[in-house]
Amino acid sequence: MTALIGGREITRADVEDFLYDEAEILDAWKYDDWLALFEPGARFEVPATDWKGESFFESGSFVTDDWDLLRARVKRLKSRKAHAENPPSRTHRMISNVRLREADEPGLLRVTASFIVHRARDGEFDAYVGRYDHLLVPGDEGLRFRRRRAVLGHEHLTAGARLSFIL
Amino acid sequence: MPGPDGTGLPGRLVVEDWDALTFRVNRVAYRSEEVFQAERDRIWARTWLYLGHETEVATPNDFKTRTLGGRPLIFCRDADGDIQAWLNSCPHRGTILCREREGSTKLFQCFYHAWTFRNSGDVAAIPGKDAYEAAGEGFLDSMRLRAVPRLESHEGFVFVSFDPDVPPLLEYLGDAADYMTMISQQHEAGMEVLPGTQMYGVRGNWKLGVENAMDGYHFSPTHNTFVGYLRETGFAVTDDDQYAYNLGNGHSLLVLTGHGGRISMLWEPRFGEDEKVRTEAHRAEMDRRLGPERARYVADESHILFVWPNLLLFDLEGLSIRQLEPVAADRTDVRAWQLAPRGEDADTRALRMKTMVSFVGPGGLATPDDIEAYEAVQRGIEATAADTRPGMDYSDMSRGMVDEVKGVQGRSIDEGAMRGFWRHWVDALGVEDGLAVSGDRPERFLEGRNVR
Ligand code: FES
Ligand SMILES: [Fe+2]
Repeated sequence: MTALIGGREITRADVEDFLYDEAEILDAWKYDDWLALFEPGARFEVPATDWKGESFFESGSFVTDDWDLLRARVKRLKSRKAHAENPPSRTHRMISNVRLREADEPGLLRVTASFIVHRARDGEFDAYVGRYDHLLVPGDEGLRFRRRRAVLGHEHLTAGARLSFIL
Repeated sequence: MPGPDGTGLPGRLVVEDWDALTFRVNRVAYRSEEVFQAERDRIWARTWLYLGHETEVATPNDFKTRTLGGRPLIFCRDADGDIQAWLNSCPHRGTILCREREGSTKLFQCFYHAWTFRNSGDVAAIPGKDAYEAAGEGFLDSMRLRAVPRLESHEGFVFVSFDPDVPPLLEYLGDAADYMTMISQQHEAGMEVLPGTQMYGVRGNWKLGVENAMDGYHFSPTHNTFVGYLRETGFAVTDDDQYAYNLGNGHSLLVLTGHGGRISMLWEPRFGEDEKVRTEAHRAEMDRRLGPERARYVADESHILFVWPNLLLFDLEGLSIRQLEPVAADRTDVRAWQLAPRGEDADTRALRMKTMVSFVGPGGLATPDDIEAYEAVQRGIEATAADTRPGMDYSDMSRGMVDEVKGVQGRSIDEGAMRGFWRHWVDALGVEDGLAVSGDRPERFLEGRNVR
C-alpha cells in the first residue's frame, strides 16, 4: 500500500515504522521525543466513548489538546508532581491493521490503525483498545502528526481507567 | 461486629469531639460491603437522586438508558413531550427492555416475547393476547411499564426517587436550589447538555469523590502541575477569601473566586483578547437582565455544588455536571456532561471545551490526580483495617473547627463542608450510636448563605 503525498511516496511500511517508533518512545516515557513527532500547531484528541461526530467543540471528550495544552501536558508528565503518573504507568503498546487513507486536505495523509495499550500500575493491569485516526504530514525529517486521535473501542472507561498516560 | 440496632453496622462511624476539636470518620465507611448495602437501602433507595438533564432528551421520543442506584432505567421524553423515567425491565419476566444506550423511539419492544410498550408506559401489543383475555379486564393495565415512583425537575435538572414518600423536590433541594437557578441564569438563551459523555470508573468509594470535590485544601499540592500551568498563562491562583457552606439536607457548596476565570463571564489572560470583548458584552447584558448584585453572584463566583447524594455541579471556567454511581464499596462509576449556553458562538464554544476538558475530566491535566488521590486512599486505608488500637482506623477531618467554635465562616481550604456531609450521611444511615459527639457543639452552625 502506497500513497503519493506532495510528490513523496509513502509506503505502509513507512507509516508502520513511524507508529512503532512512537510506541517505543511512549513506552519509555521519552516525552520530549514524543512531542518532536508533532508539527507545531498540532492537536491531540481522545473523544468520549459515546461520541460519533467529528468536531470536539460540539461535544464533551477525554482529551482535546491544542498545541498549548499538548505542550502543557508533556511538561506536566515530565514533572515529579504529576501524581497520577508518578511512579509512571508501565505501558505496552501493540499496533496493527495499519491503513493509509486519503485525507480531505492535500498534502496530508490519513492513517488508521488498531491499538492495544496494556497498562500496569498499582497492582492492576488494564487494557485499552481502540483505533487511531491520525493526520500525518510528510516532511524532510519524516512523518509528523498534525492530528493525533485515539478513538477508544470501549463503551465506557472501566475502573482504574483514568487517562493520565498517553493513549 | 453487629451494631446495637442489629444492623450489622458498627457504632462510632463519625466521632466529633468539641473539647479536642477533632472530627474523625471510621474508615469502615469506605471499605465495608455492609455499609455499601446499607447505603443502597437507606440512601439510594430513599432519597431524591439526580437522573439527568431535560436537554439530554430534548425532543419527543428521545431516550437514554442509565443505571441509578444499581437499577437500570429508561430516561425519556414521551410522544406528548413529557419527561418519564421507567424501570428498564420488562413487566412480563424482567428482561432489560431497551438495550440501546440512547436513541429515539415511540415504542419499546422486548425482544424476548415481543411485548411492546409506548414511551408513555401503556402496553401497545402483546403477541397472542387472547390467551390472557380470560384473566379479565385489568391484565393489560397491570402490565404497564413500571415508573420510578417520583420524578420532578428543577431548572432542567431531573431528579427521581425510588421512595414515593419523599418531600417535594424544591423543599429537598432547599438552599441548593438557587445555585441551580443561578446556572440557568448565566445565559439568556438557557443552557443545554452537549453530547459526548465522560463515562469512567474509579477504584474508590463514592464518598471519597464527594470529599475530594469539597476539599479546597488539596488543590495546591495535588494539582501542583495544573497550578503551574495556570501561572504560566498569567493567572495567579489564590485560596484567600474563599468559603465553604453546608446548605442543609447533605448539600454543600464551595465558593471559589481565585481559581480561574469563567468563560464569557470573568476573563483571564489564557482566554485571549477576542474572548475579552465577548465577555464584556455578555457581562453588561447580565447586569441589565439580572441587576448588578445578582449578576455578580451568577457571573463572578465559581461554585462547586454538591447535591446529596449523587450530583456535583462544577460551575467553574465552564460547567460540568458529574453524577456518581456507586457500584461496590470500592468502586464508583462516574458520568460527566458539559452544560453549555444554547447557540454559543463557535469560538467561545471551542475555548469552553478546551478549558473544561483540560481541567475537569479523566483525561485532563488535573482530574487524573484527584482520581489518583481517592484510589490511593482506598488502597491506603487497608493498612489500618481491623487495627484494634483506639482511633487508628479513622480519617481526620478537623480542619477549621477552631474557627467554627469562634463562629467564623469556614474557608474552602477547611474541612467544614466534609463534616456537614458526614453528619448527614450518618443520620441518613440511621445507625444507633453512629455519631458520637463529646464536648459542647457550637450553638450556631454556619449554614446557608443569602444570595438573592
Ligand atoms: S420478558 Fe419481555 S416479553 Fe417476555
Ligand atoms: Fe482536585
